[in-house]
Amino acid sequence: MFNKKWIIGLALVILAASVLAACSSGNGSNGGNQGTEPKASKGAQNEGEKENEKPVNLIWYTIGTPPNDLKKVNDELNAYILPKINATVEMRMLDWGDYSQKMQVTIASGEPYDIAFTSSWANDYFANAKKGAFYELDALLQEKGQGILQALNPAFLEGTKVNGHHYGLPTNKELPQQRVFRFNKTMLDKNGLDISGVRTIQDLAPILKAFQEKEPTIPPIPAKIAEFLPYDLPINDLPFIGMPLDTTDYKLINVWETPEAMRYLETMHEYYKAGYLPKDVATQTDAGDYFKTGKWLLDVADAQPYADNLWSSDAGYEVVSVPMHDPIAFNWSVAGAMQAINAKSKHPDKAMEFLNLLYTDPYVINLIDYGIENVHYTKTGDQSKDSIPDSGYGFPAFTVGNLMLTYLNTGDPADKWEKFKAFNDSATNSPLLGFQVDTTNITTELANLKNAKEATYNSLFSGTLDPKENLPKVNQKLKDNGLDKVMQEVQRQIDEWRANQK
Amino acid sequence: MKPGRPGKSYDIHRLPPVWNALLHLFAGGFAFVCIFPFVFVVILSFTDENALLMYGYRIVPEQWSTQAYTYLFKTGDQLFRSYGVTILITVIGTLLSVCMTTLYAYALSRSNFKYRKFFTFFAFFTMLFGGGLVPTYIVVAQMLQLKDTLWALILPMAMNAFHIIVLRTFLQTMVPNPIIESGKIDGASEFRILFRLVVPISLPGIATIALFCTLSYWNDWFNALLYIDSGHLVPLQSLLMRIEQSMQFIISNSALLNSGQSREMLQSLPQETTRMAMVVLATGPIVFAYPFFQRYFIQGLTIGAVKD
Amino acid sequence: MKALQSKMRDLGRNGAFLLMVLPGAAWFLIFCYLPMPGAILAFKQYRLDLGGFFEGLIYSEWTGLRNFEFLFRAHDAYIITRNTVLYNLVFIILGLVLSVAMAIILFNLTQKKLAKLYQTGMFMPYFLSWIIVSYFVFSFLSVDKGVLNQLLVSLGIEPVHWYSEPKYWPFILVFMNIWKGLGYSSVVYLAAIAGIDKTYYEAAMIDGASKWQQTMNITLPLIKPMMIVLTILAVGGIFRADFGLFYQVPRDSGPLFSMTNVIDTYVYRSMKVLGDFGLAAAAGFYQSVVGFILVLTANWAVKKVNEDQALF
Repeated sequence: MFNKKWIIGLALVILAASVLAACSSGNGSNGGNQGTEPKASKGAQNEGEKENEKPVNLIWYTIGTPPNDLKKVNDELNAYILPKINATVEMRMLDWGDYSQKMQVTIASGEPYDIAFTSSWANDYFANAKKGAFYELDALLQEKGQGILQALNPAFLEGTKVNGHHYGLPTNKELPQQRVFRFNKTMLDKNGLDISGVRTIQDLAPILKAFQEKEPTIPPIPAKIAEFLPYDLPINDLPFIGMPLDTTDYKLINVWETPEAMRYLETMHEYYKAGYLPKDVATQTDAGDYFKTGKWLLDVADAQPYADNLWSSDAGYEVVSVPMHDPIAFNWSVAGAMQAINAKSKHPDKAMEFLNLLYTDPYVINLIDYGIENVHYTKTGDQSKDSIPDSGYGFPAFTVGNLMLTYLNTGDPADKWEKFKAFNDSATNSPLLGFQVDTTNITTELANLKNAKEATYNSLFSGTLDPKENLPKVNQKLKDNGLDKVMQEVQRQIDEWRANQK
Repeated sequence: MKPGRPGKSYDIHRLPPVWNALLHLFAGGFAFVCIFPFVFVVILSFTDENALLMYGYRIVPEQWSTQAYTYLFKTGDQLFRSYGVTILITVIGTLLSVCMTTLYAYALSRSNFKYRKFFTFFAFFTMLFGGGLVPTYIVVAQMLQLKDTLWALILPMAMNAFHIIVLRTFLQTMVPNPIIESGKIDGASEFRILFRLVVPISLPGIATIALFCTLSYWNDWFNALLYIDSGHLVPLQSLLMRIEQSMQFIISNSALLNSGQSREMLQSLPQETTRMAMVVLATGPIVFAYPFFQRYFIQGLTIGAVKD
Repeated sequence: MKALQSKMRDLGRNGAFLLMVLPGAAWFLIFCYLPMPGAILAFKQYRLDLGGFFEGLIYSEWTGLRNFEFLFRAHDAYIITRNTVLYNLVFIILGLVLSVAMAIILFNLTQKKLAKLYQTGMFMPYFLSWIIVSYFVFSFLSVDKGVLNQLLVSLGIEPVHWYSEPKYWPFILVFMNIWKGLGYSSVVYLAAIAGIDKTYYEAAMIDGASKWQQTMNITLPLIKPMMIVLTILAVGGIFRADFGLFYQVPRDSGPLFSMTNVIDTYVYRSMKVLGDFGLAAAAGFYQSVVGFILVLTANWAVKKVNEDQALF
């Protein structure tokens, strides 16, 4: 009895060891931790190698679930770029939930890397840039990044400046934010509902009422919806400190004390009481399940040109939307997805050359975004493709490079990227575009306010709580937690920033 | 172990029947509450994804399906590879850890070891104070160059002050002094006393530590997150936790993301039934390994028998 | 001569012991003490552009206790400290009582096979991450679809908004903590009981001692050292809270904060807006120092009573 168990145990170890051995011999070249020295890869024998200069290997951390065929695509990419820029890249993809933490350790420990994904929501761009983690790109952009300068709308670069300098390159995609109400068209048609006059949350009342009478079992708003109040937020996590979008005097106000906020919350509370939202909407975490089941009428999303097509093809039924406002470029929307160069990179020039390719070379960007032709996708026209399902490659295209050089999906309107450009050009800049708060002197207050906000935000903005009774209390609590001090300090910084701009 | 001999008046495992029944009810009831969610996980993993979306969690699903498992096995060798990694680090890590812990704890348990207080404190201090993530990372990844090796998954967890102190207390209370004295009189070396006399009668304690080590190696995902970049060294729990963490991350950041983007991100992650199936696959084997340790600590040892 | 000999042997024995602790001590030195200077990050305004990590550590600006301010001057400082300490006290006391009781019960059950089964069962929650556990808790407590509310409604009782009623949460959190940890913590005591020489019990049986008397007079005294040591160690963690339990299980629900906000969740939320790891280091350091002082105090108290049962 005793022996048998030991034998089984031993067998398991041997099995595990042999599996590992088999695997590691399979991808032998991938093991170990290379520095910035390149492997003597096949590329080295290719033509185009300059005698006097050894090719450089760039380490590139980027976000997304690593696909099975990442290595294959990476090899293909290197074969192409080596003769062009005399450099190779090593793509290291980290999963969504891991990325921020792992990059924090990588950056702080001085682990070698050259390029990394950064944004307002993962691997915080503004904080890292302020602490000196990224390479200052001003001169390099002029020297090696002309293609980038041509491709990007200037507002992108303006909005991502930190202390007046460039530290990261935004993906060329939709630049402004435009919040929309999104409707399930099947449900609209079935119940004969008309959405033509909708622009604000209040306009929805008759539609919701009619829907509830006809479909009493389905809550028309299936999950929390994001609000839109016409203010620019210097600190995204604290949505009560705001600057009116049409400001002329650049004075901050407490958004939650405005009549607009009260009106919005009252409407939401009415809707909640009427049963338009699920009872526990405040604590619901939504993974988009209702989208799959089709049991919903309306939610809120951020749009881009032809977004309805995208949503409809995802959902498998028609989805339509109406905008709440004209497109506006905010700091966070501009910094939605960027690539930055390590301040300690040994080859910032090569890194910039590579980044330049991502904005100018359709082959490179399509390879990274969609994989290898005829393996991961097939071309169906000059500018369009169909991806091959389950082919082992997928990449979040919005995180990198020039989206407007990528192939369209079959069925996409041919002028999609034209529309994107027009959309970007049509955006108005938010008043604080390019302004960043320095949190050094107000850390305690910010921590307190953040906790105070989390304590009430979801219940208020989901409509669960009655704002008449609760909002004044909340505002008092914010004051107790140092709101005035924070507003004063941020106001001071804004005034200073404006003075420097002139 | 021999089964209890019924009828003998000095059988120490006898309890009045009423009490026995009551305590069964209590322990069994609690055990049921503990097992139930796990059974639920198994059921969910065999539920049809669409049925789950439509009707939510059901004990008897509207529609059964093995889709989640076929999907997992189809996605290929990553799963098997990860099994291999997990088993390997668990076995090697536990052996290493138990050896080192036993040696250390035994020395601390001996009252004639002059520096035992110092070394107890030396271990204990690390339970409360640490240098933090980044300095530890620098030591493991840059100084010891363990990045992307199996050792990065084994060594950082090889010792644990809690285990040492627990085992030390075991040894202090379980090992009768006469045994050690008898060893000394025979002129045996300290190592000989430890392995020949102390270890056999301390098996319950050592088995407990071994169990704890096994569990912490099996459940570890954080070291893999820090030190492993290449896919073929990712352990099972890490595979699972990456998905869970990514779900959480995307959902909690959806306010900052364009909804098209968060949809694209969510689509790259497996569906709920698949995640449940992964929980089953990641937990199943270790549950079956459990009785192997259990035999050492659920039944008493007869120390007298060892002494003779 | 004889004294010298015994001295030599003493040294030899100490040498053997030193050899035994050597691998472990080396490990602690490398993996714990070597990185420890990093803790001074808590007193610095860390910058990344000063060379490597250690250059950054050395040349970054000293800020004294400024990184700690957000903890002490916090408006919620009282609530988060109170919650953390009180929950941990309950966890320590209830955990001790229940895990010892459960170990004794399992040891005494007549049907050994069933006892083993129960024990394996109690271990299962340990394998489920808090994220997964939170799904189940939600399927129980959800307002309209939750099992519990459906039960209440069928009994004619008003359904409860579990996620916005703080008063229930101390019970829920304590239950979840016990539920998840009891299997693990009772194993130590089970093993301690299994290590007790059976002849003690046999002698007691001959004297006609009841089960209860055996438990009180043999089992408990013999596992007391283990109870004391584990409790002292637990006291060291009294300022640290299990993040998953207090964040994932209540689903980060705002109205519950008065009962669910603890130091760790407070720091986590603060980090989201501040993103400076000097602050996180400061919070960790603070928790360690308080824990350390408490352990030393507890150890000193135990030492007063019984030198042998102290930790060191």
